[in-house]
Amino acid sequence: MSYIPYEIITHKRQVCSLYKKACRTIEDWYHYRPLMRINIVRLRKRFDDNKNIIDVPTAQELLKKGQHELWSNQHYYPHQFPSSPGGTAFDRDCFPPDWVLDSWHPLEKAQYPKYFAKREERKKEYIALWEKRWGKPFIPHDEH
Amino acid sequence: MMASLGKVLCGTFFTNTSLRVLSRYPMCASKRYLSQSKIVNNLNLQTCRVPATVMRHYSVKPPMTIEQIKKRVLLVLQLYDKVNPDKLSLESHFINDLGLDSLDHVEVIMAIEDEFGFEIPDEDAEKLHKPKDIVQYVCDREDIYD
Repeated sequence: MSYIPYEIITHKRQVCSLYKKACRTIEDWYHYRPLMRINIVRLRKRFDDNKNIIDVPTAQELLKKGQHELWSNQHYYPHQFPSSPGGTAFDRDCFPPDWVLDSWHPLEKAQYPKYFAKREERKKEYIALWEKRWGKPFIPHDEH
Repeated sequence: MMASLGKVLCGTFFTNTSLRVLSRYPMCASKRYLSQSKIVNNLNLQTCRVPATVMRHYSVKPPMTIEQIKKRVLLVLQLYDKVNPDKLSLESHFINDLGLDSLDHVEVIMAIEDEFGFEIPDEDAEKLHKPKDIVQYVCDREDIYD
């Protein structure tokens, strides 16, 4: 079901995203800083030339062309931030979710009686809060 | 030779003073007790204290505070040539007060990404209208609070 878009991405945001990705691609290709800068400035000039186009089909056509150009100029080994997907430290620190504590054995829970007593209280508070906001959960009758 | 020295040192370990040192630095003490050669090198027990709290792991970042983050964000913005440093404050709106357009905003966000070394997705970047919002976002991300 991953093809269902969860929100409408505006044209403006698509253009901004294209600009950001294009800048990052230029940074990947040119490591000599002045050359990188001048190329980014040229790219910015191309965006600024077309920023006043009001005609929607023309703008969409330009956006499509730009996306195709970005795709054809993509880098073979792009820079990734360490904690982003594809980076070296992605998912390095993973914290177990909170419900894991509920699956402890009663004997294990008995080692921390104070904490688990308070935890039960907090769970009740949370359920009350949830029901106050969303109402009682609908549980259909079992007709079989 | 080494073994006998070790025996002698083991004997000296259970005097009153050394026990006090052991209880004060339990982590160092176990290490010291296990490696005999280290004991020979560091015969003077009083000078070879290595407090365990000072040691830092390699992948741990230096600690940050909210003040430092504010300063770093403002410095990045001051160095951006389209921002007037006189008008800049934590409360100034990028588009209304500082006169940037949306592509400039993208460039600002990229500079912040490079400064702090993590990626800011587009849907989050859209909501960062003021330097204050950026500071708050970085604090949330790095888990920093007062």
